[in-house]
Amino acid sequence: MSTYVYGITAGSHPALPDGMGGVGDPAQEVRVIKEGDLAAVVSDAPEGLRPKRRDLLAHQNVLAETGAGGPVLPMRFGSVSPDDAAVAGVLAERGDHFKERLRALAGKVEYNVKATHDEEAVLHRVMSENPEVRALTEANRAAGGGGYDDRLRLGEMVVAAVKNREAEDAAEIQQALEPAAAAVSAGPESTGWLANLSFLVDRESAETFIATVEEVRKGHPHLDLRVHGPLPPYSFVEPGPSEPAEPAETDN
Amino acid sequence: MTVVPAQQTGGGGGSSGLYDVLELVLDRGLVIDAFIRVSLVGIEILKIDVRVVIASVDTYLRFAEACNRLDLEAGPKRSPGLPDLVGDITESGARGKSKGALSGAAETISDAFKQSREQSREEPREESRSESRPRARKSTTASRRKEEQE
Repeated sequence: MSTYVYGITAGSHPALPDGMGGVGDPAQEVRVIKEGDLAAVVSDAPEGLRPKRRDLLAHQNVLAETGAGGPVLPMRFGSVSPDDAAVAGVLAERGDHFKERLRALAGKVEYNVKATHDEEAVLHRVMSENPEVRALTEANRAAGGGGYDDRLRLGEMVVAAVKNREAEDAAEIQQALEPAAAAVSAGPESTGWLANLSFLVDRESAETFIATVEEVRKGHPHLDLRVHGPLPPYSFVEPGPSEPAEPAETDN
Repeated sequence: MTVVPAQQTGGGGGSSGLYDVLELVLDRGLVIDAFIRVSLVGIEILKIDVRVVIASVDTYLRFAEACNRLDLEAGPKRSPGLPDLVGDITESGARGKSKGALSGAAETISDAFKQSREQSREEPREESRSESRPRARKSTTASRRKEEQE
């Protein structure tokens, strides 16, 4: 029977989610493999496991539960080991690395922030920033919508202006939130957001981070901001790519 | 995970809350070469949600129309005047003569996402996991409606 691995945590973790329902249908029972100072949160791997909603949610829930009690290194969905012994072997072999990461991530959680434009609001903004766009809009309107070429020209101008705003807003969001986080990581690309960023945030200063998001929201009424967290630190398990930010000191 | 009272998850109902973090579950997290990973063939979930503005003739014309309908005297506040506009633009943009990497992406619906929609209907209790946000999500609503057409 192969073994599904959810995450790696300290053996001293006070509330390991033993017996919780994991991936599979029926849900496989979550158990713990301990090796030295480390523990792996695992279950039997169901036959024919696929990334279905039920299973993705189970993976996320087991990690959320584990993360609530102490630092955890979340595995990417779908990690399967040949057996329990191989899991223990990995814990033994790479123990120092895992322990270093667990120390680095202790007390920290991930917040993912995604942004899109509110279409109508961003059009108003573009209109107010760009007299040419406004003039052409008014001319087209006076001409009952304008001819094909006029409409094309206006549309092209507006699309270019909106795209510029997307890039500017993405930069502004990162700039505003970075000081309230310990690290930032760009989310997976091609997702259709003008900004998709993950922030590593101290649990202790999470309220400050949320308050900063609220400020950005208030200052950018043409943005739709979606915040998800606290999450296990999916985007920060590997050292390196995240840029260190200034430590959060006060609000802002 | 109850440390932060202001936890914010989810959109205007549905499975969008989970959807927003799926990409992290699928694309981030620790990978150990001694373990194998289940096949993700057919999972294009990261590219479904085409909401960015795409440069195409179709998009230009729809934006021109949007400007034409815009109340130029109103401030940049949200008003319920154009509830379907976002969806119209992005849907047609993705279907139309769009250029670039996003072309046609909206047509690719993954197993996981179909599953997520089906199950979100079957298992309404799970919806209570995500708190509803105070503001309406026009574009989410629109894109979800599009997915249901397919």
